[in-house]
Amino acid sequence: MAQRAVWLIRHEPGTPLCGTVRFSRRYPTVENRAKVFNGASYVPIPEDGPFLKALLFELRLLDDDKDFMECRDSCTHINKTSIYGLSIGNEELWPVVAFLKNGMVYASVPLVEQTLSPRPSLISISGISQGLELLFGIQDFLYSSQKNDTELNTKLSQLPNLLLQTCPFGTLLDTNLQNSVDNNNFASVSQPQKQPAWKAGTYKGKPQVSISITEKVKSMQYDKQDIADTWQVVGAVTCKCDLEGIMPNVTISLSLPTNGSPLQDILVHPCVTSLDSAILTSSSIDGVDDSAFSGPYKFPFSPPLESFSLCYYTSQVPVPPILGFYQMKEEEVQLKIKVNLKLHESVKNNFEFCEAHIPFYNRGPITQLEYKVSFGQLEVFREKSLLIWIIGQKFPKSMEISLSGTVTFGAKSHDKQPFDQICIGDTAYVKKKNVGSYHIAYSSELHFSILDYTLTGCYADQHSVQVFASGKPKISAHRKLVSSDYYIWNSKAPAPVTYGSLLP
Amino acid sequence: MGPLSREAWAQRLGAFRASPSAFMAGADGEDLGRDLLSDLRSEKLSEQTKVSLLALSLEYPAQLWPDVPAAEAAATSLLDTMVLLPPRPSALRRPLLLAATTVLASGGVLGPTSGASCRLLPLLLGLASGRDVGRGFGPISEQRPLQATACECLRELESCKPGLLGGILGLLRSLLGQEGPIQPLSLLLALALRNTLVVQPRSGASLQGLLMAGVSSTGSGPWDWTLAEKGHSHLQPQAPCWPAAEEGACALAVLEPSPEEVRELRAAVAQLLDTSYLLTPVAQAQLLWLLGWALRGLQGQTPALFKPQLVRLLGTAQLTLLHAVLALKAAFGEALFTAQDEALLLRRLTLAAQHPALPLPTHLFYLHCLLSFPENCPLGPEGEEAAPLLLGPQLCRGLMPSLLHDPMVLLSRLHLLCLLCAEDEEEEKGQVQNPQWYLEELLAGLQQRAALDGGPRVLATLCFQASYLVASCLARQPMILTPLIQGLTQLYRARPVLAPHFVDLLDRVGPELEEPLRVVLQQEVVSRPGRDEALRWHLQMLAKVAERDAQSATLSFLQAAAAHCANWGLQQTLLRVCRVLLRGGGGPGLADLLQVLARQLEDPDGRDHARLYYILLAHLAGPKLGVALGPSLAAPALTSSLVAENQSFAAALIVQEAPAPIRLSVGPQKATGPLLVLQLQVEALEPVYSLELRFRVEGQLYAPLEAVHVPCLCPGRPAHPLFLPLQPRRPAPAQLEVRALYTTPTGITCHAHLPPLPVNFADLFLPFPQPPEGAQPGFFEGLWDSCLPKGAESRVWCPLGPQGLEALVSRHLEPFVMVAQPPTSYHIAIRLPPNSMLLLRLQAAQVDDGVPVALRTNDWAVLPLAGDYLRGLSVTE
Repeated sequence: MAQRAVWLIRHEPGTPLCGTVRFSRRYPTVENRAKVFNGASYVPIPEDGPFLKALLFELRLLDDDKDFMECRDSCTHINKTSIYGLSIGNEELWPVVAFLKNGMVYASVPLVEQTLSPRPSLISISGISQGLELLFGIQDFLYSSQKNDTELNTKLSQLPNLLLQTCPFGTLLDTNLQNSVDNNNFASVSQPQKQPAWKAGTYKGKPQVSISITEKVKSMQYDKQDIADTWQVVGAVTCKCDLEGIMPNVTISLSLPTNGSPLQDILVHPCVTSLDSAILTSSSIDGVDDSAFSGPYKFPFSPPLESFSLCYYTSQVPVPPILGFYQMKEEEVQLKIKVNLKLHESVKNNFEFCEAHIPFYNRGPITQLEYKVSFGQLEVFREKSLLIWIIGQKFPKSMEISLSGTVTFGAKSHDKQPFDQICIGDTAYVKKKNVGSYHIAYSSELHFSILDYTLTGCYADQHSVQVFASGKPKISAHRKLVSSDYYIWNSKAPAPVTYGSLLP
Repeated sequence: MGPLSREAWAQRLGAFRASPSAFMAGADGEDLGRDLLSDLRSEKLSEQTKVSLLALSLEYPAQLWPDVPAAEAAATSLLDTMVLLPPRPSALRRPLLLAATTVLASGGVLGPTSGASCRLLPLLLGLASGRDVGRGFGPISEQRPLQATACECLRELESCKPGLLGGILGLLRSLLGQEGPIQPLSLLLALALRNTLVVQPRSGASLQGLLMAGVSSTGSGPWDWTLAEKGHSHLQPQAPCWPAAEEGACALAVLEPSPEEVRELRAAVAQLLDTSYLLTPVAQAQLLWLLGWALRGLQGQTPALFKPQLVRLLGTAQLTLLHAVLALKAAFGEALFTAQDEALLLRRLTLAAQHPALPLPTHLFYLHCLLSFPENCPLGPEGEEAAPLLLGPQLCRGLMPSLLHDPMVLLSRLHLLCLLCAEDEEEEKGQVQNPQWYLEELLAGLQQRAALDGGPRVLATLCFQASYLVASCLARQPMILTPLIQGLTQLYRARPVLAPHFVDLLDRVGPELEEPLRVVLQQEVVSRPGRDEALRWHLQMLAKVAERDAQSATLSFLQAAAAHCANWGLQQTLLRVCRVLLRGGGGPGLADLLQVLARQLEDPDGRDHARLYYILLAHLAGPKLGVALGPSLAAPALTSSLVAENQSFAAALIVQEAPAPIRLSVGPQKATGPLLVLQLQVEALEPVYSLELRFRVEGQLYAPLEAVHVPCLCPGRPAHPLFLPLQPRRPAPAQLEVRALYTTPTGITCHAHLPPLPVNFADLFLPFPQPPEGAQPGFFEGLWDSCLPKGAESRVWCPLGPQGLEALVSRHLEPFVMVAQPPTSYHIAIRLPPNSMLLLRLQAAQVDDGVPVALRTNDWAVLPLAGDYLRGLSVTE
């Protein structure tokens, strides 16, 4: 269950080492146990320098992928989880939990309480999930409300002390590092019995409960006969409960309008005390029919102090909010493009913003552009080979808008072409939109946001919120719909399809 | 040295952290531990700096205080520092406790004989139980955090020394019931409970007694080490509660507790589980792992206690919690999860493995869990990844890979898809939406992406990894393999630069894919014009896929390519293909090609190689050629291919040193003349062929010796004696150095040094030609007289054995007798090549134990040898 060591490594492409160790922490007592448990298969934790090198190599974050290297590029070197074996000297350090997020590599080595040869299955090692949670916790701490490098540095400098609180001996006590900061601040003199460990203290002040529902809508649209368009809604319900008492009980109900789309795949926060079996079993695997449970979805819980995600859900709405097609054809030296977008009538026509990004991968800068838009403005980023169509706050009455034009490109200069930046850059493996960057399959991506609206219709009824605590709390609820990975593929060329698109 | 300033310490700590080993090896290294301990008490340093010093001792105690006495002293010093702290709030107490614990546990000090241990343990226990431990431990406000810290310290000590807290189980239980901090106490009790259950059967202590033991039992009395002493032997590799690893490794004895013990145990476990919702999710997960393990070994214990927790846990997708549920599933199987529960768990897991709200590493881990799912009734072999029975295509729909996925997600989902396709083998085919068809589309997409000119290597790697995965899961499905092969061929056509990937793939996959792919790739390569930019890759590819029996298409491709191999590297690649063809024995066309290359290539090294290959082809038989050009076992992996090539030649063509394969000895001599011939006995220890024995004499005593040849020797088969003609330059005994040169059955030529062979004085004797009948006495006298005056004369007493003179002569000197009057008188004449002679007159004396010998020789140097020889005769009898 314990970790032998933890590292944070800043990925810095272009520098000689391609990264620096920003933080590391070793746990010698755990290391002692590893020595005994692993026996002859024990491999000691290396110093930071060799570890950095081996990890970046394994994660393909070094700049040298020009040549085929068997130990990295062999077809048998298949990694299907974020757990790696690093070759250090002549030995292999395993298991190393590691992932890259926002240019930072998070890594830890969990203790395996048995011999390592033969390698035990990952599922049998409790330290794997604990290690991942620890790294997620650190990541949340570093990137919650962090804006720039200075703030990051401040947070990094707080880490040693925080880990002394939440992971003093390599066994994680709490993933919420912020909690332990608060814990120190509270330093409550008389903590009574049954104070939950995930709640640093008690709230004093005006009671209030805030609930916000954010739905993200993803879509893949092909405009083709044999490929079905797909779309999905992912919702997150975030709560902040400022209530007095040690463990106030709250029940929040999410409701749907009569024609709302049922919520599925519901995952709840661990503070939720019980769940209706209908909520537990409602799943997108089964598809939707009239018999599907459509709420109200009740979540009884005892809230922590901080803001938390009460639940996540998905939903299959009957139509995508914006339906479009994108046609692109190469004619001699220029590209002819045509984009058409139509807002569905049921959707609230009041955007916070709405724009379509039309990137051109693997080409030189835009040298010439002739275009016609029926609505909104077009911005041209010549060097990035990118067009952004700014649609604004409202679709016109017709609900349908179009863009057509021809684009000419200059010579491809190798260091600046978007292909390199996007697919090799540090976010290449994280953001799905980047993977769409292939030669033949072009897409335009929609970015939009609508306030006080959800696609499923899901809402938290203020009157149905039950709070068992002293005082009548003020209850506020917010809703928002945003787009995320909303692609419209060029219908004049093959596009990557998902399995879902092929089903009848 | 006075205390260092804050900046000096920061610098020093920075240098140490950059590379602890380098720092400790430096001049400053030795003092670091001592300075650190002393500066902790310095009043000039801020608490912040001191905390950073303590942080170092938390991480590197083994470097700072490497041996047991040093660790003991350091722990004592840390405890002293804590006692000396002024009674106001201080940020140092926590880290000091942690540091003292770390130093004790990691330094191997913890034990009844350690003074520091005996101070720390009661202190921790006192703090943990919220007792007043005296002045110096800060104000009340600090008690609470210290209480939690003390629990953590105790937990760590218990982890490192199982059974340490076995004696205070009862106390911990009562503390948990009172007002202690819930999480640290719960975890501490759970761990102590589990360890006690592991250790207890050996100690014989009553579980009930331990669980019930009141608060009084461990007041201020000495620490109870009995369980820990037993337990120490138990910290050894052992599996956690996981069935796959259970057999053999699991040291947990099956307990059969008494009903009272069961009741107490259940009460304790229920107490822990009932309040588990107050713990943070990660701590809840730890608690479940610990309790799951604790109860696992108990016979007749229904794990139903866990049931109330499960519904709550299944709703969340918190990684550690779901993992802990899976551990419980593995530990208890059907006893805790009915078939319906199992199906629900699987559904939740499938859902979590793709839920958009969860991060990617979590998805990947859940996917792994799905393929290693601990089923109630597993069908497949244990330890192999497989899709669980209940996971049908419908459930997996959302887990299908797509090109839009991250490579790791794609591969892990692809694996699942392959497993489904493998199961789906018998079912109806031809539907558009069946998984096989989708797999085909996906592979085509991957190939298309890898074919993208200038694309990053990761895309190519992904394509080949996917191909490998498919080939290894679905090797027996031509429906899948045929389009895969076609797709890969197209990929090669589009991007020959991926040749190393192809070579790697061919090396790794089974014959089902390798053979057909090899054939089509060869056709693909040789159908090329052989002069484009990609020539280097074509040649590299051909070196892998070329058929051993050189086809004319291959040869003409190479011939055409030769004209375009302008640089050394290309020529070497070309020659490597020739080498592959050579290994198969070549063919007539190859000899022509090599000759052309030997003339045409621009680079002299290339020409030399071509000529060498030609010579090898012309002179070595097929099998030998194969051995000579085969992969060298001797070549270390890192050397260049050229070095490897040379080493393989060295192994195959250059004569290698070996231990002696035969035993050689000098046989009985038959002095017949006219030439001196040494008879050798040979015995084979292993089969040798074409054996050549070479001899050499030190000091040019003899003329150079000719080599002896033997075609074949086998162990166990009688061998003919060998005859070695000797041409002494002086009649003197000598040692012959012997070397053997031979071929092993594997075709390798070896040489060996054999032990030296002695040539004795008697081995050099030759008889004189027999004069006509009756002339012998006169001939002898003539020789006798001719010896003087240039020669020498002597008289020797030759001792006789029991057989007497006649036996002695007939045994040793028979061939040389010139005149004989048995049994009393013999005249003996011995020729010693080249020009010496030795004449003996033996006349039996009156006494029986010896015979006086008069001897003459024309070579005075022979005299001492003759004397030794005669004196030695009786001894050798």
